[in-house]
Amino acid sequence: MDEFPILSAILLCPVAAFVVTLVIPGRQSGLIKGVHGIFALLSVVLSMVVWARYDTGWRENGDVDRFQMMEDVPWVPDLGIHYILAVDGISVVLTLLNAIVFLTGVLSMWTLTLRVKEYFLFMAALVFGVFGVFLSLDIFMFFFFYEVAVLPMYPLIAVWGSTRKEYSAMKLTLFLLAGSALLFPGLISLYFESGGQTWNMLILAQEGTFTPKFQVFVYPFLYLGFGVLAGMFPFHGWSPTGHVAAPTAVSMLHAGVLMKLGAFGILRIAIDLLPSGAAYWAETFAILATIGIVYGAFVAMRQTDFKYVIGFSSVSHMGIVLLGLNVFAAVGAGDGGSDGLNGAVFQMFAHGIMTALFFSSVGFIYDQTHDRDIRHFGGLIGQVPVAASFFLVAGLCGMGVPGFASFWAELLVFVGAVKVFTPLGVIAIAGLVFTAAYMMRVFGKAMFGPKNPQWDGLDDVGPWSALPRVVLVGVLVLFGFLPSVIVDVIRSAGVVSHSGGM
Amino acid sequence: MSYETWALALLFAPLLGFFLALVVFRDRHNVAAAIVIAAGSVSAAASILLCVGGPQPTVSARWFHIGDITIAFGVLLDSRTLLMGAVVGVITLCIQIYSLGYMAHDPGKGRFFGFLALFEWAMLSFVYAPNLLQTFIFWELVGLASFLLIGFWYQKPSAVAAAKKAFIMTRIGDIGLFVGLILLFRATDTLDIESILTLYAGSSAGGAPTEIIAALLFMGIVGKSAQFPLHTWLPDAMEGPTPVSALLHSATMVAAGVFLFARFHELFMAAETTRMAALAIATFTAILASTMAVVARDMKRILAFSSISQLGFMLMGLAAGSLFAGYFHLTTHAFFKALLFLVAGAFIHRCGSNDIVAIGRQGAARTMKVTTFGLIVGGVALAGIPPLSGFFSKEQIIASLGQASPIIVAGAYAAAFLTAYYTFRMIFLVTRPDPESAAQPAGPADPDHAHGEPTWAMNGPILLLSLITLLISALSAGALVGAMSEDPIASILGQASHHASIAEMAPAIAIAILGAVLAFFEFGKKGAAQTGIVARMPGLERLLANRWYIDAIYRHTLVALATGIARVSHGVETRGFDGGADKVADATVASGRQVARRHSGRLQLYIGGAAILFALAVVFLGFRG
Repeated sequence: MDEFPILSAILLCPVAAFVVTLVIPGRQSGLIKGVHGIFALLSVVLSMVVWARYDTGWRENGDVDRFQMMEDVPWVPDLGIHYILAVDGISVVLTLLNAIVFLTGVLSMWTLTLRVKEYFLFMAALVFGVFGVFLSLDIFMFFFFYEVAVLPMYPLIAVWGSTRKEYSAMKLTLFLLAGSALLFPGLISLYFESGGQTWNMLILAQEGTFTPKFQVFVYPFLYLGFGVLAGMFPFHGWSPTGHVAAPTAVSMLHAGVLMKLGAFGILRIAIDLLPSGAAYWAETFAILATIGIVYGAFVAMRQTDFKYVIGFSSVSHMGIVLLGLNVFAAVGAGDGGSDGLNGAVFQMFAHGIMTALFFSSVGFIYDQTHDRDIRHFGGLIGQVPVAASFFLVAGLCGMGVPGFASFWAELLVFVGAVKVFTPLGVIAIAGLVFTAAYMMRVFGKAMFGPKNPQWDGLDDVGPWSALPRVVLVGVLVLFGFLPSVIVDVIRSAGVVSHSGGM
Repeated sequence: MSYETWALALLFAPLLGFFLALVVFRDRHNVAAAIVIAAGSVSAAASILLCVGGPQPTVSARWFHIGDITIAFGVLLDSRTLLMGAVVGVITLCIQIYSLGYMAHDPGKGRFFGFLALFEWAMLSFVYAPNLLQTFIFWELVGLASFLLIGFWYQKPSAVAAAKKAFIMTRIGDIGLFVGLILLFRATDTLDIESILTLYAGSSAGGAPTEIIAALLFMGIVGKSAQFPLHTWLPDAMEGPTPVSALLHSATMVAAGVFLFARFHELFMAAETTRMAALAIATFTAILASTMAVVARDMKRILAFSSISQLGFMLMGLAAGSLFAGYFHLTTHAFFKALLFLVAGAFIHRCGSNDIVAIGRQGAARTMKVTTFGLIVGGVALAGIPPLSGFFSKEQIIASLGQASPIIVAGAYAAAFLTAYYTFRMIFLVTRPDPESAAQPAGPADPDHAHGEPTWAMNGPILLLSLITLLISALSAGALVGAMSEDPIASILGQASHHASIAEMAPAIAIAILGAVLAFFEFGKKGAAQTGIVARMPGLERLLANRWYIDAIYRHTLVALATGIARVSHGVETRGFDGGADKVADATVASGRQVARRHSGRLQLYIGGAAILFALAVVFLGFRG
């Protein structure tokens, strides 16, 4: 595409915000927030343009490529490293997700006063890394962006967080670096095994690049390495702790997009490049994913901190993503596999938006009360009806109630799972009961019930602060009623060259 | 206007009403109420017109497609949906009007009407659904709307608990429904309900896959229609405002389960084993719930138990093979049960108490003529005493049991006897209080909830529902004596009704009258002790009053198990995973400390160590060389 390099432009939005912020004196915090708001909005607009321009007809029409708007610039030619950006249906969706969470995250932190400049610098770096991962087609660049996205979490939590913040930040960093330690040898082995010529995923994904034996050996490194970031059971421990400690917008980014990087890595690199390995391991990892779904729900049932509940609900919901991915890994695009894939990607998007809504609602209440213990609240729906309603909407979405985006995502994953791994599919569906149980518990304790007079004076969400939340609810409802808008795009990437199960 | 227009208006009017009432006009109560009632009127009118118009081709629009599957949103207009739709439309409208009076003083009135519209929209979209997906989506939304309405008074902990219980209990059933629908889709390769029914029509033995699918769907029905063992949520659900109970127990929520059975009747008929199991469960539930009603004193609770029991009757008829019998009872019951709940609401509204003894003591029945009239019409119909509607539909069900085992038939008679007994107990205690007999102390009246005589908004719907009940009774009686060729409901459904002779009907009539007479001697006769026969057996009374301890058993087994697993998981999380990770971290730090201690900075030590290593290296290399 020799026209405007729109993908680089998206990638440059956080960079520009970063650079401009550097030259703004730290006192002018309003200006810093404004700059971030503008560039975040720009990235949303650009992502929507990409979505609109993406031609979903590639499967029907041989002239259209699956990966579009490609930019390819050699970077370190001696090592075969290229700067390659391109999107397929999956990354189109996830790029928009990141942009939306970026924008709403900036808006949610509008009241921040502590070290505003530094905060937004780190946040821009994080967003930059996430965009890079979603857009890269070069494994080296992918890994580079991946690390860029992960590392700012440490200062963001350790400085601006709450509740055992140093501990949580350190735990998160160590877990994620342990994941990276598995990834790095895995990725390098891909490079050498393929002849040391290129890191280009499109070339590496060609059939016959890797022997089945090699695939079976290397796949777990990549799956587990990425899986840590996706909050896979049993390596999820960092995630709820991190959520609890992180400030609102960081929680939003963390659960909203960062965990998706893990799942995206599994899909884009592990499954796409090593389909035979993926098929070999699919059942094992599907079992772990199903355990995660049910286990996360049970642990969530015992939590007393709002954010811990949401943190463990993320473990449970990311289990659904991973289950969908493994359904796809097991049978490829065959019977049920594409349902699993479509559902998994849809769930990444829906869960990202939903969790962002959750954290921004809880953050709104925490900012005023400095309390997140659900036992200390009651009848919030009467005290702050709008703020509580946002929480309820997120909760209903989390329970998979029809009319919200998650319903479709979960439906697709479950349809695929029942077809491919029948017992696991049934267990995962049964998990819906426990999801309902822990959500209802929070609803019953904090949102409904006799009110706690201590919080009678809370301010409700005003029109301005409602804005980011209204955007998130709008997205959830839009895709709840018109799932095809998103599924058409995702599905256009659904069938990959897949030697494993075919 | 064409029928397509009506079909669309039918569904979109409540949706629009919901949006306007809840989002736009929530705080302008009367505007919200007016919008919702206007929308309800449109739906009621459209549903009646469509029902009169008879079956039409499905109206549907492509909603979206996933893969090769096209999902349509539409309105299926066959005899089953037309009749149910009209029932839902009319009853919902009556209840909406009634709520004007009942909820007049409630600070959340706008929200209430918004939820009512949501409930109506979900139920109508479910009933008219032409495909499996729409069925499932709106089945879930009916559950959501019930949750919101049961927990409407959210400051009341009991209401919140009841809403939560209703949602979770029905969701347990929904797992079955969800998996069942997926399997059904895989087995038939279509989502279209009419095609599925054509596939199963006439096949009597579907084999194991059909049995599994039917059993899973029935699991959903057990949850939604509050059958044993998932029945425990319904009695608690009366924590919601009374109009909600009236809606929930008659034409929506619980009716959805029975309707699903009727909707997929061909499928269930092809699954012989499941059908028999369903028949047994339904019969057992019918008896179980009516025993609980015998000792209850809370008027709404009595009606709730009777709903469970009557739903059992409907499912008995359907499972025994008669689509008409079950469906007929669903229809007659919807009207007289809605009526009875509105009556109960009027008494509660007036007296500030749910206790039938307290209501009787206040002498409310003497002044509230319309309400008392409604109580008697609804009660006689429920008791199954001719010539009111409940008799005819229950008689059809008993007739349909002809092929079934004698145990089932005996069970049906037992449940019918108990129904007549507890219904007349309620009627007598309310209308013929005996102030002299202080056999049981009356519950304290709650003056906060006493609002005075019912207004026209409450009396109007009571009268209307009484008249509809009488009208259905008259039509059925007409069909019986031969004034009409066929029962009108049977002709809408295109089914043949069973024309019973007097001899065939005699046992049912005798049983019902026997129950009523027993109740008369115990409660109605002048100077009666007003102590039931069960109350004279304290052990039995305690068992029944505690609902056979089923709730307690669940609390101590299933709920305890779930919380136990949650506690163990939490323990594993904090001590296992988190603790393990911390131990690894601590061990790393500790080993670092150990190594650091060796680096003491004493040069002698370093030189000595280096010398030893050097010597070892020499020896090692020497051996190799």
